[in-house]
This record gives sequence, structure tokens and C-alpha cells, in this order.
Amino acid sequence: MPQFLKTALLFVAFFFVVCSSSFAQGVNKYKCMIQMTNYMGEGAYIVISLVDSKGAYEKTLYVLGPDKKWYNTLEEWHKFQKKKPANISAITGASVTGGDRSINVIEIDKSKINAGYKLRFESAVENKEYYVKDLEMPLTTEALAAKNDGTGFIRYVRFSAN
Amino acid sequence: MTISVWRYSHLALAVSSFVFIVLAALTGIILAFEPVATKLPGYRVQEFEELNLAQTITVLKKQYPELIELSVDANQFVTVKGTDADGNDVQAYVNPRNGHILGVVQQQSEFFQWVTAFHRSLFLKETGRFFIGLTSFLLLLIAVSGTFLILQRQRGLKRFFGRIVKDNVAQYYHVVLGRLSLIPIILIAVTGTYLSVSRFGLLPDEKVQHNVDLDAIASEPEKPAADFPVFQATALAQVQTVEFPFSDFPEDYYTLKLKDRELVVNQFTGDILSEVPYPATTLFTNLSLDLHTGRGSIIWSIVLAIASGNILFFVYSGFVITWKRLSGRVKNKYSAAESQFILLVGSENGSTYHYANAVFRQLLQQGHKAYLANLNSYQAFPEASHFIILTATYGLGEAPTDAAKFVSQLEGVEQQQPVSFSVLGFGSYAYPDFCKFAFEVHQLLLNQRWASPLIDVHTVNDKSPEDFSRWAEAWSQQTGIVVGLSEDLAGAAPKALKTLTVTVNTPAGTDGHTFLLRLKARGRTKVKSGDLLGIYPANDHRERLYSVGVIGNEIQLSVRLYPNGLGSAFLHALAPGQQIRAKLLQNQHFHFPVKAPQVILISNGTGIAPFLGMIDENKQKTPVRLYCGFRESASVRIYSQFLEEQQKAGKLSELKVALSREGKKQYVCDLLQEDEQAMAQALEQGGVLMLCGSLAMQKDVLQLLDSACQKYLPHDISFYQSRSQVLMDCY
Repeated sequence: MPQFLKTALLFVAFFFVVCSSSFAQGVNKYKCMIQMTNYMGEGAYIVISLVDSKGAYEKTLYVLGPDKKWYNTLEEWHKFQKKKPANISAITGASVTGGDRSINVIEIDKSKINAGYKLRFESAVENKEYYVKDLEMPLTTEALAAKNDGTGFIRYVRFSAN
Repeated sequence: MTISVWRYSHLALAVSSFVFIVLAALTGIILAFEPVATKLPGYRVQEFEELNLAQTITVLKKQYPELIELSVDANQFVTVKGTDADGNDVQAYVNPRNGHILGVVQQQSEFFQWVTAFHRSLFLKETGRFFIGLTSFLLLLIAVSGTFLILQRQRGLKRFFGRIVKDNVAQYYHVVLGRLSLIPIILIAVTGTYLSVSRFGLLPDEKVQHNVDLDAIASEPEKPAADFPVFQATALAQVQTVEFPFSDFPEDYYTLKLKDRELVVNQFTGDILSEVPYPATTLFTNLSLDLHTGRGSIIWSIVLAIASGNILFFVYSGFVITWKRLSGRVKNKYSAAESQFILLVGSENGSTYHYANAVFRQLLQQGHKAYLANLNSYQAFPEASHFIILTATYGLGEAPTDAAKFVSQLEGVEQQQPVSFSVLGFGSYAYPDFCKFAFEVHQLLLNQRWASPLIDVHTVNDKSPEDFSRWAEAWSQQTGIVVGLSEDLAGAAPKALKTLTVTVNTPAGTDGHTFLLRLKARGRTKVKSGDLLGIYPANDHRERLYSVGVIGNEIQLSVRLYPNGLGSAFLHALAPGQQIRAKLLQNQHFHFPVKAPQVILISNGTGIAPFLGMIDENKQKTPVRLYCGFRESASVRIYSQFLEEQQKAGKLSELKVALSREGKKQYVCDLLQEDEQAMAQALEQGGVLMLCGSLAMQKDVLQLLDSACQKYLPHDISFYQSRSQVLMDCY
């Protein structure tokens, strides 16, 4: 019995540690609003990616655009996605047309915030330009609270904790 | 073969675009089922029209603490995007009355995505889009040219939906379905074109822009959304999307995208901060999308599917028609200058060529020098002895396109040698101007010094093999050259022979020449007076035709006995009770008119036979005058008792007999001459003249009638012929 109790206690302790560590590393949910400029044309395909300080892709956070056929127009991201294919079906939504806004909930690991990472908004429109960095912002608490202006099809992006 | 401008452009457009049209139509049919598939779940709530935005927003706010967007699609399904009370993301169809989730929003399936992309751009991106746009514009032109062709064919807008004559399956359904799916197809083409044009930015289009003075936004007095007048005044049915304020900052506001305008509404006070109506181009684009995709309406999308299916059929049947028309062409072996037999054809859609070809080939096979051309190619034919003119009539009794110049050319070119001619008209009694052009051509040729009619003008109703055979037989008799119908044109095999029993056979009576034969058919027959009885006296291909009169339920023939006559001798030898096998041929164009103010029957000799039956059938007592000519009074005697009875019964109002070898020595024409004015009057009032007897009599009567028409009437005789007021069955 005592042997069993010990083992049981050990398990409980182990679970506690695992759980609390995962809590500590937990995720933050943000509502992310992308407001588009009034460009004319088809809906824009936009990818929100987490990139490290050197600009290397780390993780795909959200894809606006349902048709895989057009993913190759988002050239840089497409290379990353081909090299390290991730299942993005749960984080895929509709494309956004000029003048519209799109609000989506994205999940960001807490550990990545204020840790030198960046958020990259990459955009492409059929028969129009492709912007690798339509908007790239530091992933800091400060930046997440502010309005970040885009340089291409995106007018600005705002976040709010969810 | 020349073809009209509309037909030429219809064909040219179709040929140049049919590949794209087929691809677009095939994918279009598939896509038409997408609205059906999406609408099937039925997330639309009852009495949707009564809901307003304030009610729905209030309900949703209770249910979902975080709302991002509310949208209403073409099916009036309401979608909400936000988070529920447990903090889970929600993107689902909801019931706008209570906020309950009805179903998950499905993204367009990959299959439909694939087909849509193909339908729009053939996977060729911008190039493909351009071609598809161009194709839908061409489709519009095809539809328009097709409409004009139908108008031409039906002769006017009023008869647009009138009966169509069934030439052949491909052509018939090409026209019938063309009329039915005209409107959906034009809509598909117009909207498709519009969407392409607007897609390429060729239309002035602007995004709605709101100018909101952010500093002036008030946050007081704060009201619940349910009390916003603008929400209360907006029906949910009017809404496309409502974007909820992103945060609680006053500069975040509601954006309402309605069907016709966009509104920006203060999230605290409910004030309208900006209101911009959509430009007309946006509204047209939406309407075009509705019509082109059928979204929101199962019925319309099914109509679109059917219309797309029809487009495929048009491509198929159109090529069948074209192929048939082209295959009707022939190469001439002999030149115009060396040929004896000249076949001139007037055809609008090529079907007349098939008949001309059949005759042409047979003439060549028999070693005759024959030349085939369209009527427009009329010229001097120095070696010609025979003209055979086969022509259809187009539009309001006009010449077909490839015969349009014939009339003027005939005036300019005179043949230097005598030529005998025969005109065969093709048409349908479904049209009022039956074979009018053929009658005109016949009249024109009659007036030529060098031309003489070999036989009278014949007509073929609805490609009837019987009608054609009748002409072929008459022509063959005069020329001694056998022509007939090739098997493919003869249509069905000859109808089964009937067994007839002889009931009465008078001796070659009073004049020693004429006898009456009565036959009774076994079982029921639909035979009417004026129909033809074909007998085979020698039991071989040789056929003899007799006009019959139906008296009671018996068939009566009136036959003149010729020494060594194949048919007459055979019939004369029959005894009552004997049975013969014979063919009954309907002769639709020589039946007693159902409706006519009066009927004038003109015959000579045994030509009286069908008239005896008609008079007997005249139960409605239409005024009937009978002019008949015989050689001597003895010939009349076998009919006199019958005719007297009919006069008493009121079925025959007047009887005039001419005797050519006794008394005044008159011909039937002399009787008509006396009553010339009455004849003209009868024609003018819509009366019908029926002729039966010898061709010589027919020729004289027609000449007389023509001069009577010129004297008393505004039209010439061909006008009345084409209106079935002059019916002839002569031999």
C-alpha cells in the first residue's frame, strides 16, 4: 500500500507540474481587426505569421483566404508552408475586399510576447501587388494596444484582448 | 447557297465561340446546383420579413457577449460571428428570433470552388476571364441574332410564339427551345457580360467612403441598442451585414451594410454618423450576381440549369442543321451551257436541295445532261429544253434568299430556244402564304414567250412524299423520263395495302365509255372524297391513281374505259363481290373546305368523281355550284339521278353542264366565261374553287381565272392559290 500511495502521489505531483507549466506557457487570445484600404479588385489574401527577430517564420497564426490555389501568390509564406506544412484549416477564414474590415480571433503564445518576436501581415491580390511586409509590427504589449498602419492593401490593424 | 445576314452571323458567332460556350454551359449546369445545395438546409425562419434589426441585435447581445459581425445571405439565413458566454468562438447560422444556433457555416466546398474558378477563368487567370467575358457577350449576340431569325421565320412579333413547322428534329427543337429559353439565356449573357466588364474595371465604380468626424462623436446620452431608432426602422430583410464596434471606444461604431446603402451608427447614442447610398454600378453588380448565379432562389437556379442545358443542345442541334445544309450542296458535272435539264432551286434552309438532288442524280444516272443551281444563278442556258424549278417560300410569301434575284434576272435574260418548265413548290399549310413564291414563279414563266408549262405547278406540303410523287409522276408522264423519290426522302415505307370489296360495277354504260365502280373497305378507313386510290393492275410497281368520291360509306370511282388501258380495263373487269388490294392516299389539299362561304366545283369527264362524294358529304349545306363538262348527254346520264337528288336535298345549289359534241358544243370553260364576274366575286369573298379533270382544262380554267382576277380583283390568281382558294387535282 505505501508503495502504491507513493507512486500515486508521484503521479499527482507530476501532473501538477505539467499542468502548471502549461498554464504558465498559456496562450492569449486576441481579436485582431484588419481594416483594408479602398483598393479596387478581388478580395485580398492575407496571412498573419509569427516571425522571429531575424525575420524567419515561426508559426502561422491566421490565413484570410480559403482557396489553396492562390496560396502561392503569398510567395515567402508559401515557401515556409511548403517546407513545414502545418494544418491551417482551423485558422482559415474568408478573404477581405477593399474597404472592408475583417475581425478574427488569433492565439499567441504568452512566451512570445515581449520576447523579440514580430507579427507579419503579408498580403496579395489577384493581378495586383504582393506585399511581403504589408505590415510588420513588434509583438509587444505596447504595439498590441496601439493602431498599426499598413503599407499596402491594409490600412491599419488593431487588437483587443479577448 | 447564300444565306441571310442574321443566319450568317448566328452561325459565325456560334462557330467562333462554341468551345467556350460548351465549357461555360457544362460548368454552369453544375454550379446551378450550388444554390440548391446551400438552400436545402433551410435555416430561414418563418415570417422573416417581419423582423427588425433592433429585435435581433437585442436577442443576440444577450446570447453572445462578444459580437463581431451579423450577416444575412441571399437565402435569408442569418450568420453570427462572435464569442458565446463560455468564451468559445462562434461562427454559425442562428435563429434571429432567439439567437439559437441552427447550423455550422460551411465554406464553399472544394469541388464548387474548383468549378467556379473554371467557369470564371478556365484556370487561365486574366486571359481566361477575358475569354469567358467575351464569350458571354458573343452568347448575347447569338441570342439576339437567333431572335431575329425566329422573327423572320415566324414573320413578325405577333406570331413569335405561334406554331412552328417541324422540318426535322434538330431544327424544330432548336427553334422551340430557343424561344422558351430565350429570356433566361439573354439574362445569363447580359449579366455575365456585365460582371466581366465590371470585373475589368471598365465601369465607374467606387468604394463607399464615410467621412466621420471622430472628434465630434458623442458618447451620451447612452441608449441600449434596442432603442436605436435606426435599428428599429431597419428590417432584417434589408440587411447584408452589420459590423459591430470593435471596442468600447466611441470612435468605434456600427457599420450597417444594407441592400442599397451603407450607414455608420454611433454605438452609444444610436445617431447616424454617415449615410452613403451605393452607386448604381454596385446595385447592378448585385442584381447581376443574383440573376447569374441563381443564389437565393432554387427555382431560378433550376431555370438557369435548364437554360444551360439548352445551350448545349443548341450547339449540338446547330451543328446538325449546318451539316445538313452543307451536305445538300452538289457539284455539277455538266456546265450550264451544255445542259438540257436545268434544275433551279430556291431554298432557305437547304431542305429543298435534298429533293432537287434526288431528281438531279436520277437524271444524270439516266445519262441526261443536267445542271443544278440556285434560282439566283439564272442565266442563258443555250441547250436547255427543260427547266425544273423547286422552290420554298420564305417569310410573308417572299422568295428565299437564294432566289431573291430571280425575278429581276428573268426579265433581263431571255432564252433563245423554247423551254418547257415545271414548278414544284415546297411549303406548309401551317403558313398562310403556302408556296406563294412557287405560284408567282409559275405565273412569271407563263408570261415568257419562250417558256411553256410542261405540267401545272405542283406543291409539296410538309415534305409529303405523296405530294412529291404526284409531281414526279406527272413530270415523268410528260417527258418519258422516270424520276421518283429516293428511299431516304420517301420516308416511311409505302403504307400497307387495304383490301376492298367491289359492291357495284356498272357496265360501261350509256356512252359506252364511262362506268362507275363502288368499293367497300374492310374495317374502318378515314378516306374522304378527293383522296386517291392507288391500284396495281399488273401486281408490279405500276401504280394507277384515281380520285375517289365517298358516298355513304362506300368509295366510288368514275372511270373512263380506254381500249388497252391498264387501269381502266382491270377495273372494268371486276365483278361485284370480288376483292382487290389497293392503297388509299390522303390528299389533304383536295378535301372539301370545312369553312367556306361558297364552293365552286369544276370538272370535265370523270373528274366529277370526287365531287359526287363531296356533294354527298355536304351536310352543312354550303352553297355549292357544279360546273361539269362532258362529251355527250349520254355521259351525263349515269350521274343525273344522283345529282337531281342532291339538288332536292339542298346539298347542291346549282348545276351547269357543258356538252362538247352536242347542242351548243361548249366546254366547261365557256360556262365559266359566262359567269366570270361571279367567279371573281366568289374568290374575293373567300370562296373556294376546286378543279378536277384534265390538265388541258386546268390550264384553260387558270388562264380564264387569271384574266378575271386582273379585271375584277386587286390580286392575281397566285394570291388565291397560295391561300388555298383554288384547289386542283388534275392529270
